[in-house]
Amino acid sequence: MQENENISHEHDDDEQHEHAHDDNDTMEHTHEHDNDEQHDHADHHEESFIRKYIFSLDHKMIGKQFLIYGLIMLFVGGGLALLFRWQLAYPETPELEGGKPAKAAKPLPIIGPSQKYIDDGEVVTGADKMWERIYDSDKEEFLEVNMPSGLIEPHFYNMLFTMHATIMVFFVVVPILVGAFGNFLIPLMIGTRDMAFPVLNMLSFWLAVLAAVIMAAGFFVPGGHASAGWTGYAPLSADPQWTGVGWGLNLWAISLLIQGFSSLVGSINYITTIINMRAPGMTFLRLPLVIWSLFIVAILLLLAFPVLSSALALLIFDRLAGTTFFTSTAEGGGSSLLWQHLFWFFGHPEVYILILPGMGIASELIAVNSRKPIFGYRSMVYAMIAIAFLGWVVWGHHMFQSGMRPGMGAFFMTTTMLIAVPSAIKTFNWLGTMFRGSIRFTTPMLHAIAFVSMFVIGGLSGIYMANTPVDIYIHDTYYIVAHIHYVVFGGSLFAIFGGIIFWFPKMYGRYMNDTLSKIHFWLTFIAFNCTFFPMHILGVGGHMRRISNPMQYEYLQTFEGMNIFITMSAFTLGFVQLILVFNFVWSIYRGKVAEKNPWNVTTLEWEAPTPVPHGNFAQIPTVYRGPYEYSVPGEESDFIPQAQPEHAPASAGD
Amino acid sequence: MLGWLPENISEYAQGVDKLFALIYWITVVAFVLVIGTLIVFLIKYRHRAGHRAEYIEGSTKLEIIWTAVTTVIVFGLAMLSFPEWNNLKSPAENPDYVVQVRGEQFNWYMIYPGPDNELGTEDDLELENELYVPEDKLVQILLTSKDVIHSFFIPNLRQKQDALPNQTIDTLKFQAREPGRYEIPCAELCGFGHSGMLGYLIVQTQEEYDAWVAEQWPE
Amino acid sequence: MTESRPLSNAKLGVLILLGAETMLFVGLIGAFLVFRMGNVTWPPLSIDNIQLPRLVTGINTVLLIISGYIMFLALRAVQQDRIKQLRNFLVFTGTLGLLFLVVQGSEWVQLIGKGLTLQSGVYGGIFYVLIGCHAVHVLGAVIWLAIVIGMAIAGRFSSVNFTGVETCTIYWIYVVALWPILYVLVYLA
Ligand code: HEM
Ligand SMILES: [Cu+2]
Ligand SMILES: [Cu+2]
Repeated sequence: MQENENISHEHDDDEQHEHAHDDNDTMEHTHEHDNDEQHDHADHHEESFIRKYIFSLDHKMIGKQFLIYGLIMLFVGGGLALLFRWQLAYPETPELEGGKPAKAAKPLPIIGPSQKYIDDGEVVTGADKMWERIYDSDKEEFLEVNMPSGLIEPHFYNMLFTMHATIMVFFVVVPILVGAFGNFLIPLMIGTRDMAFPVLNMLSFWLAVLAAVIMAAGFFVPGGHASAGWTGYAPLSADPQWTGVGWGLNLWAISLLIQGFSSLVGSINYITTIINMRAPGMTFLRLPLVIWSLFIVAILLLLAFPVLSSALALLIFDRLAGTTFFTSTAEGGGSSLLWQHLFWFFGHPEVYILILPGMGIASELIAVNSRKPIFGYRSMVYAMIAIAFLGWVVWGHHMFQSGMRPGMGAFFMTTTMLIAVPSAIKTFNWLGTMFRGSIRFTTPMLHAIAFVSMFVIGGLSGIYMANTPVDIYIHDTYYIVAHIHYVVFGGSLFAIFGGIIFWFPKMYGRYMNDTLSKIHFWLTFIAFNCTFFPMHILGVGGHMRRISNPMQYEYLQTFEGMNIFITMSAFTLGFVQLILVFNFVWSIYRGKVAEKNPWNVTTLEWEAPTPVPHGNFAQIPTVYRGPYEYSVPGEESDFIPQAQPEHAPASAGD
Repeated sequence: MLGWLPENISEYAQGVDKLFALIYWITVVAFVLVIGTLIVFLIKYRHRAGHRAEYIEGSTKLEIIWTAVTTVIVFGLAMLSFPEWNNLKSPAENPDYVVQVRGEQFNWYMIYPGPDNELGTEDDLELENELYVPEDKLVQILLTSKDVIHSFFIPNLRQKQDALPNQTIDTLKFQAREPGRYEIPCAELCGFGHSGMLGYLIVQTQEEYDAWVAEQWPE
Repeated sequence: MTESRPLSNAKLGVLILLGAETMLFVGLIGAFLVFRMGNVTWPPLSIDNIQLPRLVTGINTVLLIISGYIMFLALRAVQQDRIKQLRNFLVFTGTLGLLFLVVQGSEWVQLIGKGLTLQSGVYGGIFYVLIGCHAVHVLGAVIWLAIVIGMAIAGRFSSVNFTGVETCTIYWIYVVALWPILYVLVYLA
């Protein structure tokens, strides 16, 4: 009988079978690393380099891979921003009636040619030599097309900000927050050995790499890269004739589709893991807030990204198959607003995907460093759930001026005001957590404090924009740019930096250098505010976003000085990040060796040995209490780990 | 902050600046309160030897209070905005003048109906990037686009409206109070020439305007 | 080792996947509705000489629903260790699925012959994209089913071990259940 031949299969434990079946349509069966009690085999055999560092199935390694990936992309995205910031500071000033005197644009530093070369063709610098060669060659060189003589072409400018935002949103913040922290923290903090589907986890990372490669390739195809903004508004994006961009935009869409698959696979994994694999005693209301935030974000990613995918698919049909979904024609044509509806139906949940894990991380850092329980743990959870629900009915606030019916505007203003409330609740609860605490100003805590204060600014600026009459004026101006960056850079990125420094000892078994971290923090904090706060003013002055040359407008010429200041600050901000990279890399090898629980934290990840072995825990811990038992009255120690068994109750009545 | 707003010459949109100012002061107060509290806490509750944090898990009363206060404030603001919004984004009733505006990579085309007051007739006049209107008159703009989405933005009027291809939007209207020349940038990315897509609003006194009309449409 | 788990990882994973699939279709159906509402006459005048094949598709719908029921029977069979019946049911289900695809394909060929193509305005466009997206899902489900049939023939399932059948059943029934909605929206309404 056939059944008998496979008798060994019948005896496999349940877990292995599930994986075998679940994965069989996508990939080959690799040896199973799943969580089961008999895990000690992992300690005995050394894995090959490729298994361990490249095609790793271990959630911690995949988390680190995502982290490195995100940091590399952070520099790519940041570099693009510096290029266009230069253009904004030193554009050409045309002759305008009543305006400033005309002035030529200033070429980029380092790669731009020298003044001598521009004036009389004399080769002085290495860059001059390069330009000489470029102009002599018959080939259409990249630099010649996009930044002739070190000046950024308007079309290239559009590519730059499009890719800057696309990369930052899809290839930096989400991969780091969800991919890196999600992977690293979820199994450790809920007390299990790995993710539910390790192979899918690996797949998720490599799909993200593929997406990044495709996205990068877009720069080098004829016609250049996508240049319709990260929001890719149709019909501009729907027909190559409007932008002159051919395959660049197709690759943009394809890359995002692949990134969508990566997120899908990742979120299935996270949700399943959190629902099914919590350690004994780890009830939902004992989950650390960062896990709650990642759980909610995984659900949002799962549900939001497919909507973008549907829009991208339609867009690709429009571009390649001659459909007219996004182009309204007189007869039987599509709708110019459809793209915006689909995009923002995805997009608003997406922006909360960008911030919720940051909120989670900040909550951890604040509780640990204030040595206090989270103020109103339950309302923190409910606030996040409320945000996740309300996030689906506010997308129209991005479309107040789009030509949507004004009545809809009123509806979306109301829902948007509603979503501001849970955001405010969270802020007050963070303050409450510090109230009567014993605050340790560790570097992660500094980042958490920066997170809270920057998020306050971002949230408050949101109120202006939620107000439809005021939004008429500030929509599509630098006010929006300021808002975005206060929430995503000031919010998410500070949380990321804080989180990296905080969990670094668990990731690499060493501390990051604290002096360097502190220098990095303060310089970043100052440069960040110098860069982005003035953008509020630009916005109030009516300075549009996505224009390559503000000097073409008489009423914006007053802002020349401010634009230069912003650019200088931005360059500072960019270069300061090198400190972080240096510190990061150096500390992996040379940092001070960390003990098991260096910050005296209650949650489970600190129960695992450092560095965390394959399989995480010698024995799966049992959870006895909530995650924030700090400074419990009558206790000797000022923290009680979640996994510490019950002991004699503290003397009552203190 | 408020000082950076360009001059407001709109009869209709004075309320926008008032709302802006109101929100500005509310947010400044909120900011000072929150950040002030934060700083006080950071100083007062900093770690000191021999001092221990107090075990506080929350306070339902406080949470209800601040939830309620925020809700009241934001909904109050919403209530105040509704009339303003309806006022700004509703079709004009009995406009004095109607001008059709068409965005097209990368210009604004202003189409005046001419003496017969009817668009789409022989005597229409199409000007590139110049919108002539008399002061203190209600002007309705019929906004459309030929190719992609543009956004008709007149900072001095606090007005902005996207122009959609093959669709006419009739909710844009204004009444300019100050004669002068004002810029009309495009605010929605519309291609490589987006930066620099710029028209002018030329507000004239009634006499000047009538003279201009006489010049354009000689009898 | 862990808290009680009402659903196995694999089953939960597939259910979660269905959430994403649903949102994909929500996006496409949303687009369909926008076009539908945006056009006063539907189909637009330019293509009103073309009738979508309601009757054949209706019969096809019934086929698909039957396949769903048989898939369900297959699951019951394996739960009760009727392995031979399991195989038969699975094969029957797969055949019906394939038949569905074949009928759809021949309809498409006919429609294209009559002049309804992807480029026939949004009417043609969204028809092919929406129905095609579902067809791709059916195809995916058939391939998945083929693998399950292979495993069933290899004797990999029994009444204590049938997760593979179960997950495939969930997915199959989802794809089946989606169809009547599309049928009503696209063909009838
Ligand atoms: C208090 C809560 C918030 C409110 C009331 C709010 C409101 C708004 C509104 C009304 C807009 C559209 C403005 C316009 O284009 O005219 C907007 C844009 C935006 N918001 Fe928020 N927001 C809030 C929080 C956040 C958070 C937490 C994030 C993300 C981390 C975020 C990220 C963004 C982004 C990225 C955009 C710009 C998208 C674009 O056009 O490129 N916002 N916000
Ligand atoms: Cu939003
Ligand atoms: Cu434009």
